[in-house]
Amino acid sequence: MRAGSFALLLACVAAACAPAAAQVFPEFRYDVPFVPSPQVTVDEMLRLAQVSDKDFVVDLGSGDGRVVITAATKFGARGMGVDLDHDLIVESEENAREAGVSDRVSFVEQDLFKADLSRATVITMYLLPAVNLKLRSRLLELKPGTRIVAHDFDLGDWQPDRKTTVRKNTFLWIVPARIAGRWQARLALPPIERLLELELTQRYQEVTATARLNGVPTQVWEARLEGDRFRFVVVDTTDREHEASLYFAGTMSGDVMDGDLTRGVGAAATTIKWRAARTAP
Amino acid sequence: MAEARAVVAGQHTSSRPAASLGCALLLATALPAAAASTGWDANIPTPYIPSTTLAVDEMLRVAGVVPDDLVVDLGSGDGRIVIAAARDYGARGLGIEIDPMLVRESAENARRAGVADRVAFREGDVLKAEIKAATVVTLYLLPQLVEQLKPRLLAQLKPGTRIVAHDFGFADWAPDRTVTISKNYYLYVVPARVSGNWRLEADLPGGAREFDFELQQTYQRIRGGARVPGGYLPAFEARLAGDRIAFVLVDGDTSLHFEGRVSGPVMEGVVRSGPGRNRIESHWRATRAGLPANEG
Repeated sequence: MRAGSFALLLACVAAACAPAAAQVFPEFRYDVPFVPSPQVTVDEMLRLAQVSDKDFVVDLGSGDGRVVITAATKFGARGMGVDLDHDLIVESEENAREAGVSDRVSFVEQDLFKADLSRATVITMYLLPAVNLKLRSRLLELKPGTRIVAHDFDLGDWQPDRKTTVRKNTFLWIVPARIAGRWQARLALPPIERLLELELTQRYQEVTATARLNGVPTQVWEARLEGDRFRFVVVDTTDREHEASLYFAGTMSGDVMDGDLTRGVGAAATTIKWRAARTAP
Repeated sequence: MAEARAVVAGQHTSSRPAASLGCALLLATALPAAAASTGWDANIPTPYIPSTTLAVDEMLRVAGVVPDDLVVDLGSGDGRIVIAAARDYGARGLGIEIDPMLVRESAENARRAGVADRVAFREGDVLKAEIKAATVVTLYLLPQLVEQLKPRLLAQLKPGTRIVAHDFGFADWAPDRTVTISKNYYLYVVPARVSGNWRLEADLPGGAREFDFELQQTYQRIRGGARVPGGYLPAFEARLAGDRIAFVLVDGDTSLHFEGRVSGPVMEGVVRSGPGRNRIESHWRATRAGLPANEG
């Protein structure tokens, strides 16, 4: 509970609504409604993010440190908590020592908008809606594939990739790669090489695509972007007698995307490698 | 009826929709709403339909056919779905088709494809077919007929059986998955019947616990919870996929993740308390308390 209310409070301070927050501070601090311990919610956030021992979890507004400490004790991760309240940082460090994870977690007394997120593979937060929105552009700049989990409050029109409800609403977002632009790929499909031209526009992880296959406009189906991985389907009508779907799965890195391309299904399927380059942003 | 078939065949570039919808039209003419055929002709503009080899491919892919499957195609036309299931996936197949000419053609096509030993075709009305043994059912029929089939499918098919429909799905049953590649493909997994009251026993870390557990069900959508002294624990994230069930009960500071299989009046499986690597796994089992509730 405390973690939650302090996170909200600190977020409010950090969000430059400081004058108002200062006024409500005593009331906010002491007139807290009874809410059962959110350990179940902390557990659910980390489970939804599929935290593992390879992860580095950064908790924005870390309160008494329970998210980062839980990530270390129950999931084997490393982590860092960021909070503005000196007393809470001291308490978090003490809690980490008691839990025996001091070597894997740290706590920084800092404005969460200034926190170093460069090592984060997972970001956790329980902040006010306005603060979430203010953070959103920074979150979108993180490495594609970084997972963000929050509960109760979402990120506005950036739809979550997954949502669960275990007592509270918990949201997961996966930072999408910047995939928009024109792309070209030469596909080594028998009997003749095909030229695939893609034009992609994007709104967060939602991708709208149009394509030309050997110059012929064709529709793109089932386009899905998750982090740096992009999948889509194009129907290949080059050989009218043997039309088949082309199932693309690629991983994006800078201006290159490559992966597997499967033509057809079942025993009749053939898989080759494909690679596309961005020709215009 | 031959004319209806000819008209439909003329609208499409290949024989699969012609055969199957033709079959549907033949059946439809036997029903009071014989106008179905004229409705189809007059109101639906001729769409661009790519070679329906694609549709066959996609239906079998969406169904996730494996060699252990028995694929039953209702309105099997010239047999191409059943034959592809055998040829491309090593499955066994059965086609039900009302037109004896098409049944003979299907058998001939199966011989030519070298899969005659693994497939069979029966002349018959899809509304009367015996399909209990199917693990996959494929449908490409008019909406009216799809709706008429639904209670039969739910009554006959085992939980976990996959139904794939093409273009026309069930009106009030939300698919488990929709894929759109030129056309819409709908996957439905036949749900186990779980609605009603259960007695749930779990060996939890704090000791054995018993709950009165109740579930309501609308197809695969389930909700419910456990009655405990002085309260109620709602089942969060409740999921039913065929005979597999999962839900979460929050008991104090701990979330209990239940996963199991339903087998008639018993369901049982594993319950994990807490998340991550220090979670504790134990066994749970529920038995029906009283009669199954009516389908919701």
